[in-house]
Amino acid sequence: MHPLAKVHVVADALTCPAERSSAQAPVAADAFVRPAKRSERSSLWRLTVPLLILTFCAPKAPAQASPIALKGAKLLTVTHGVIENGTVVMQGGKIIALGAAASVTIPANAHVIDATGMTVYPGLIDSETALGLTEIGAENMTNDLVEMSDEIMPHMHTAEAFHAESALIPVARFNGITNAIVAPSGGDTLPGQDSFIQLAGVNATEMLLLRDNAMPLNFTGDERRNRGGFEKQKFPATRMGLAAQLRQAFIDAQDYKAKLTDYERKKADAVRDKKPEPLAPKRDLKLEALIPYLEGKKTIVLAAESPSDLQTAVSLANEFKLKFVLNHIAHSQPVLDYVASLKVPVIVGPIYESPKEDERYDAVYSLPAQLYKRGVKVVFASYDAHNVRNLPYQAGFATAFGLPYDEALKAITLNAAEIWGVADQLGSLDVGKTANVVVANGDPLDVKTDVKQVFIQGQAVPMTDRQTQLRDEYSK
Amino acid sequence: MRSMSKRKYALLCLCLTMIIALASAQSAPAVPNDIIIKNAVVMTATHGTIPNGSVWIHNGKIQAVGETVNAPPGPKVTFIDAGGKYLTPGIVDSHSHIALNDDVNEATSPVTPQMMMKDAFDYQDKAIYRALAGGVTTSLLLHGSANMIGGQAVVIKHKYGATRDEMLFPNAPRSIKFASGENPKRVYGSRDQLPSTRMGNFAVQRQALVEAQDYMREWDSYNEKIKRNDKDSKDATPPKRDLKLEALADVLRGKLMVQIHIYRADEMLTEIALAKEFGYKIRAFHHALEAYKVADQVAANNIAIATFSDWWGYKQEAWDAIPWNAVMAMRKGVRVAIKSDSEDFNRRLNQEAAKTIRYGGATEEEALKMITINPAWIVGVDDRVGSIDVGKDADLVIWNGYPLSSYGVPEKVFIDGEIYFDRQQTGLGTTHYKEGE
Repeated sequence: MHPLAKVHVVADALTCPAERSSAQAPVAADAFVRPAKRSERSSLWRLTVPLLILTFCAPKAPAQASPIALKGAKLLTVTHGVIENGTVVMQGGKIIALGAAASVTIPANAHVIDATGMTVYPGLIDSETALGLTEIGAENMTNDLVEMSDEIMPHMHTAEAFHAESALIPVARFNGITNAIVAPSGGDTLPGQDSFIQLAGVNATEMLLLRDNAMPLNFTGDERRNRGGFEKQKFPATRMGLAAQLRQAFIDAQDYKAKLTDYERKKADAVRDKKPEPLAPKRDLKLEALIPYLEGKKTIVLAAESPSDLQTAVSLANEFKLKFVLNHIAHSQPVLDYVASLKVPVIVGPIYESPKEDERYDAVYSLPAQLYKRGVKVVFASYDAHNVRNLPYQAGFATAFGLPYDEALKAITLNAAEIWGVADQLGSLDVGKTANVVVANGDPLDVKTDVKQVFIQGQAVPMTDRQTQLRDEYSK
Repeated sequence: MRSMSKRKYALLCLCLTMIIALASAQSAPAVPNDIIIKNAVVMTATHGTIPNGSVWIHNGKIQAVGETVNAPPGPKVTFIDAGGKYLTPGIVDSHSHIALNDDVNEATSPVTPQMMMKDAFDYQDKAIYRALAGGVTTSLLLHGSANMIGGQAVVIKHKYGATRDEMLFPNAPRSIKFASGENPKRVYGSRDQLPSTRMGNFAVQRQALVEAQDYMREWDSYNEKIKRNDKDSKDATPPKRDLKLEALADVLRGKLMVQIHIYRADEMLTEIALAKEFGYKIRAFHHALEAYKVADQVAANNIAIATFSDWWGYKQEAWDAIPWNAVMAMRKGVRVAIKSDSEDFNRRLNQEAAKTIRYGGATEEEALKMITINPAWIVGVDDRVGSIDVGKDADLVIWNGYPLSSYGVPEKVFIDGEIYFDRQQTGLGTTHYKEGE
């Protein structure tokens, strides 16, 4: 069998649990209780959650039918502190009530889950992933990470490649990641536009909450693809070339926008004067895609590594008055005050990036704390697809190097929701927000913690994935 | 000696004396002979945790461990108050490619057992320091996986700032790296060479072992003749030495421990069969992401695994990887190590080990064993390092928080009783390496 044929067979055999028919739900329910240590299992958990899965995980992802109340848990609200013995009520996909257990009235028709001893927190948000763009790293036919034919590719839309049935998505969800940015990889200066997804739904349409919500601008000069001997070089082969090409692209987009504006004005005049309409300018998809960014309506995710690249990139962005957040800046330690002066959020890291030769071992680990101290809003990203599930551990590790715990949790919840413009719906446990809620047996940022149940829009998602299925198959 | 003039003899003696003097000056550095680390949560890795324990280090070895230790008399004892922090054995990384200056694969032929990683060992590589700062004190530096039979490993202690020879683990057993699966077939297949399939992979391995058998027989018969010390002995001419076949003959003789890069369960079974066919033992399967599928057979052959905690999906043969692999294999009796294979993971192997608590419910001690005594066994130095036991090398880590979590970070790292990393120091935190050297 051709190796790729095997991929298909395997993928077919074990599809995304979100898509499973309700007939398969008992498998999911069984798997949910299996990983829990005996001492941590409460009989209620064993009984209630499988029931919920049976009830709510029908294939068409209907709206949450009846209210669910999580009772007696430690609530990490993110916006208003920790509630030790708290209750959350979810209905219609939203959080409808929360607070100290004694103060919350649970609707009579609610499924009540005793969550005593559990920690409940908002679904985690990963601010850069390749979810849905890759399946098996080394198998190119399963990768849609970046279009490498040109540096300027703003008309690439990750939403159009996003593979909702990816086996990687339930694996990420298993650890409480409920939302993520899907970004093209960093191979181009402008590799295309991001999407913001929810990690449950029957298809891409349902999962893609935002399309083309942001665009990476990578000015990581060391990663130039056209380097090499003089005989091999193509434009752009230097940082000057990359900057010139980028500047030209935005100038062309400005011209294109002016032409469009001119056309719209002439068209309006023609309509008013009842004259024949003028010819529309020839559409240019690349330039068209840049316009919302030139207008500051959408966010540029500006990535640089070294202080000099960072400052060049920022001056380019300012030249065109782009609205931006910073990305990576893993080696910006010498210019942290400059970074703070920009007053923009930073997607930092990953903090696991190696320090430079002369840097102390913790130069990158401590970067989030250093930025936070200077008043910078910090956000984490896994920059991964297969191990998006490890996002919370990065936040936890950053606290070992000085980032306050509350800020670390915010960096993967509320801060992320804010920079992606969804803080009115996501990022905290607050009444009125989407009921993306995680129930775990302890501290969300610790590697030892077991996530027991994830709710997305108030629905208990099956706590199964390709890996739990293999585990169960070989545990028989 | 008879023919040697008196003067020459005197000179030789002088030289020898000087060498001995120099050597002893080096082996007895200006550190106290006795250190007592007290007031620590001592996680021994082999006999539980002592909540308020002490460890007495004498001349670089662990002299005593317990709730209290009897302080030796005399003023030379140094006391280190751990302030209630955690003390563990130094971490052992049983799969690393750091400090080899990218000379990891001699990918010019699929069989290169004569490659000695020691010859490429770059003792100045900062990656040694960064792992040290993460609590790693011993690493097995392996050949890569481009070749079916790579080269011979070198075992190092992370004494960053020491000389090259001081960093080599003294008298460590020899290991050789084998590989299988996608990597060799990709490397040679892309050149239209053998091997380009798994059939080709195993044929290359078997062919090399057959040649080694012939070579071994030639030498055995020669040595036999010499040993007989008769008429034939005088006429016997030694076979030509061939470093490649000599190394493989040492595999067959059981003098080289076989460390195999392997992913798929079926390949593990084939490697076990090949080892039986040629009469050698496999020390460990590395990566071994599908070990959970054949854990019984792996355990029955006393083969350890050195695996990732949760890496998966980066290639087809890593598609069936599950984070429960380590604990599922362990429960079937497999000796399990969590290894780095990475300049990143080797800085936080404690967190990687802690994931086995979450995925499968390893106990604290089981998780700790996966980065200490179990990898030490894979490397063949479990009688010297990997636990806090009397008589072992004093390779120890004081952590500022619980090490099996997202939060614990090494404060001080001891190797052979000396502090090599101290987080409280400014600069890099190294005690033996000075910046700019």
